[in-house]
Amino acid sequence: MSVIEHKEAPEGSPRRALARQTKPGRRQRGAHRNTFIAALPYLVPTALLYGYFLLYPMLDSVRISFYEWSGFRTQEPTWVGLENYVRLFTGADPVFWKAFQNSVIWVALAVLIPMTLSLLLALALNRKMIGRNLFRSVFYIPAVFASITVAAMWRWIYNPTLGAVNQVLEGIGLDSWTQQWLGNPKIALYSIFVAAVWQGVGFNMVLFLAGLQQVPPELVEAAKLDGARGPQIFRHVTVPALRPTFVVVLILTIINSLKVFDLVVGMTGGGPAQSTQVLALWSYSQSFSNHNFGQGGAVATVLLVISLCLVVPYLIWALKGEED
Amino acid sequence: MRYTRSTALAATAAAALMALAGCSSSGDDSDGAGGGDVDLKVWMATQEPTQKEAIDTVIADFEAANPGITVTLEERAVDSHKDALRQVAGTDSGPDIYWYWEGPGLGGELVENGMSLDLTEYYDQYKWEDRFSDAALAGITQYGGFDGIPWTMQGEAIYYNKTLFEQAGISETPATYEDLVAAADKLVAAGITPIQFGGTVNWHVMRLLDALIETKCGADLADTLNTTQAGWDTEECVTEAFTELKTWGDTYLNEGFMGINNDDSSQLFYTGEAAMAFEGTWFDSNVAENGMNPDEVGIFTFPTDTGRLYGFGEGFYVNATTTHADEAAKFLDFGTATASQEKVVGAWAAMSVNNEVDPSTDNALHGLWPDIFNAATGLYVNNDQNLSLDQTTEYWRIQNSVLTGDIAPADAGAEFQKFVDAN
Repeated sequence: MSVIEHKEAPEGSPRRALARQTKPGRRQRGAHRNTFIAALPYLVPTALLYGYFLLYPMLDSVRISFYEWSGFRTQEPTWVGLENYVRLFTGADPVFWKAFQNSVIWVALAVLIPMTLSLLLALALNRKMIGRNLFRSVFYIPAVFASITVAAMWRWIYNPTLGAVNQVLEGIGLDSWTQQWLGNPKIALYSIFVAAVWQGVGFNMVLFLAGLQQVPPELVEAAKLDGARGPQIFRHVTVPALRPTFVVVLILTIINSLKVFDLVVGMTGGGPAQSTQVLALWSYSQSFSNHNFGQGGAVATVLLVISLCLVVPYLIWALKGEED
Repeated sequence: MRYTRSTALAATAAAALMALAGCSSSGDDSDGAGGGDVDLKVWMATQEPTQKEAIDTVIADFEAANPGITVTLEERAVDSHKDALRQVAGTDSGPDIYWYWEGPGLGGELVENGMSLDLTEYYDQYKWEDRFSDAALAGITQYGGFDGIPWTMQGEAIYYNKTLFEQAGISETPATYEDLVAAADKLVAAGITPIQFGGTVNWHVMRLLDALIETKCGADLADTLNTTQAGWDTEECVTEAFTELKTWGDTYLNEGFMGINNDDSSQLFYTGEAAMAFEGTWFDSNVAENGMNPDEVGIFTFPTDTGRLYGFGEGFYVNATTTHADEAAKFLDFGTATASQEKVVGAWAAMSVNNEVDPSTDNALHGLWPDIFNAATGLYVNNDQNLSLDQTTEYWRIQNSVLTGDIAPADAGAEFQKFVDAN
């Protein structure tokens, strides 16, 4: 129909001009529609699995947060409205705020320390040097270990009597520096965080290394010809080129920090005295250890909201970049 | 092949049908419920080597005597075992039989949520009431029916290293709480760690707190406190108990106990670095298996001055969702029968729950327990079996906070009561 109309429109008329503009758009939309239909058979099974195993439990967790339920199939959940959230925010749950605070501390530290370390490592290992690949591998290897394995290793390293840390300190005459690394509530969280840095820095280093490959060498050369020195080149050429990588690493770091669970479980179980409790673990503990699925769901929902606040802007940014 | 909208839609529909078909039951009777061979799934906490050997013996003998029934044993660490059972409760994914503790806070919770089959019919059929002592049956019948079958009666007391006691100049086992503190002081003076605990598993240090509450509050008040019938914020003895706990943590427990678990801390006892361990009858086997000479180890009850023994019962429960109740009952009957128990007595506890079976003599420590049980005027139970799950979590948090100095002993009782009242 539209083709006939276009043919009938006189040359140079506004209608003809509009037709020229809209014709490719319609073709494009049609092509998109055909592509979408063609992709449907491949999308549907995945979408069904995604919906059943990811979306449904997520939404169900939010639903459960408005009920009191022990998690046993034999017991009917009781509607309690916002009571579980009131308990969280009014301090009736004595652990929630500690877990919240620890999660915030973890995110802040993760953004500051491992990101900086991994960038420095990437910059160091981006140069031509002997053993470069060996060093890259050495720093990356901890990232492939299962977190629970890392936890078991570090638990031994921190053992107050037999652990490597205290033994080394004693060996070099720093006996007074020995600590109950996982038994002292004031430092236990940071002790776990060190293990997380050891495990996670290699992965971010690889991302930064990949980003550094995108820095146009001609820009670096041009800057050098203009008399720029190392720090100036880094600031005015490397950093702007690394901007997309920074955003990806930042967002992934924040998300992974909010999800932190296995290291804490494996090293302290949230103790001593809940001092290393984090939101993800407290949600699990409330649901599966205390059998308060409603309260566990409420903690999970708080975590979900925080995560969405951070992820949605990232998704918008990423999708916008794709369209551009 | 050229894609058209109709082929794409047909393929989509087919994929959806396949996915839905995958979600539905296949109708395959793989559990053997429809006749033929039966596989009984049994879940237990991880067994020590001698215990594993013993349960394997029971299973092998049972399978030999009952062709067509096989038994598959799955073991998990203590906390994983608790989690796994709670997760499968009410579903068809659970075992046919599971080993678990008794008491309202643990076994009672599963019973309350319909995960235990009332075995009254089988108690009549196999005359089990004649087989077990009243004390052993008390833990089974406490919920109103016959939930499970007794497997062990565990007493908990202080194991001590005789050589280290001698080195410290302690000639007699402590008979009063004051004697115990004096002995601990002597051990400290001799440069020996008085007692070992692992703080990352909260229930280990809890034994000390439970015993201190029994000591400071007396049997009757301790019972009402532990069942939250009395106010933790109004009883002075609660503050005294938490104060003593703090003293033990600061002075007498192994260095760094909050950062290690019970397995790690027990090594201090096995290697002669710590003089005492607050453990249960299962520890007899651990002592021997970890290189200690049982003759060099003694046992005395924590001197609470109430005369009661600290301890708990463990049993095998039949899952309410099992389709093999008859076979499960047959297995439990076989495992607790005199012939089976005579073969395995001593593996889990010094004394069998079967009245006709004499105490084990294969470990010198087993011989100490009958007198300890006979001397006891009653039993006081671990608080993670008395309290509800969330109360237990809070009890542990407060216990550990007192030990780390984050909560003053004087505030501990009020802190716990606040939680009890709010929930």
